[in-house]
Amino acid sequence: MSKRTVVLVSMLFALSLVFGSCGTDEADINAEETTVETQQETTGDLVFAANGEDFVRAGFISSDGWHITFRHVYVTITDVAAYQTNPPYDPHTGEEIIGDVQVDLPGIFTIDLAEGDENAEPVLAGILEDVPSGHYNALSWSMVPAVEGPSQGYSIFIDAQAAKGEESYNVLLGFENGYRYTAGEFVGDTRKGFVTPESAGDLEMTFHFDHIFGDIEQPADCDLNLMAIGFEPFAELMQEGTVSEDLTTLFENLPEETFTRLQEALPTLGHTGEGHCHCTVIQ
Amino acid sequence: MSLHSDSVKGLLLFAALLLTALPVFGHGARVIWEVQGDSVHISAAFDDGTPMNEAQVTVFSAAAPSVPYTSGLTDENGEFAFLPDMEQSLAWDVQVRKAGHGDIVHFSLDGSTDTRIDQGAFTTLQIIMMSACVVWGFIGTALFFASKLKGQNAHS
Repeated sequence: MSKRTVVLVSMLFALSLVFGSCGTDEADINAEETTVETQQETTGDLVFAANGEDFVRAGFISSDGWHITFRHVYVTITDVAAYQTNPPYDPHTGEEIIGDVQVDLPGIFTIDLAEGDENAEPVLAGILEDVPSGHYNALSWSMVPAVEGPSQGYSIFIDAQAAKGEESYNVLLGFENGYRYTAGEFVGDTRKGFVTPESAGDLEMTFHFDHIFGDIEQPADCDLNLMAIGFEPFAELMQEGTVSEDLTTLFENLPEETFTRLQEALPTLGHTGEGHCHCTVIQ
Repeated sequence: MSLHSDSVKGLLLFAALLLTALPVFGHGARVIWEVQGDSVHISAAFDDGTPMNEAQVTVFSAAAPSVPYTSGLTDENGEFAFLPDMEQSLAWDVQVRKAGHGDIVHFSLDGSTDTRIDQGAFTTLQIIMMSACVVWGFIGTALFFASKLKGQNAHS
């Protein structure tokens, strides 16, 4: 084979590589443009809500028999994002959510989950308009200490009344730590998160406060009631008719085992409907 | 209630919080699916292994993801079965709920649960060209050394 032949064939390969890769890039760009166009062909609105469920709106009886009614339950939420993921996000993996589409709800929201009567709808956190249509099947948010307002310094602040027999106490409980939740699809009566031009999709950040206090309507030996500490440990800290504690004082005043259980229960508050979240303590 | 305790207490509390900075699911539920003949078999249990008996099951097909395809209750072993209409869809979602616990599983009956297209993959044309270039590289290298040897032999 002559040198000229070798050089010519090499040049042909080099040129074909250049054009081949250029052609592929163009195809990729076209494919991406097509994808974006497809995603942007239609848009709709996405509604974010927070829900303390009937436990907060109507009150409930703790696993140890205290009837708790809530005047206010403030949670402060930020970094709210919704995703369209394929495959669907599984919170049990503990991984970050990687979405084909991600939309962010900017802002920090302090929401009173006890707002309204027992028939009230979940509390609106915000609405994103003109987001790409599709199924938003994953959700993430952070719960952080409020920097102002009635729950300043706390990510969760409970203002409640607890009664049992002749005893009735004011309850002020603040939890100052922060949590990051990543959730898959809403699990509940209906499927949520479908955005179309004709109808808004909705997503829900749900908080299960029976995880702290337990639920007398569930078996005493069910895992929920075994995890929850009930209200009695708080009642024992009552002073002048009021239980007023936060994590700092509870760390000092509760038995170590009870405090540990409370710490383990707090990150499990966050759900989407009945679907569980992956949670990490962030501050 | 005090927001600002001394720094030692704060550090201790922070350390205690870090100990719980682990994935948390509490009293979760897990749902497993399996194809048995023409039907799909669902098995649901709480995290502690207790079967989710009499749990509410709702099945959705990808063809109509917001409309239940079928629904029912699990048996005493937390099990449920349904016959999927494969002509309607190969992708299915099954939600199981009981007493505030719930989970949803997503699967495809085409043999893969992951329908994601690997966007990082090379095209067939690229693969052929890359293979050809590698082969040509070997040929070129061999020809280069062959010509050098030929030259040396000519000089000697």
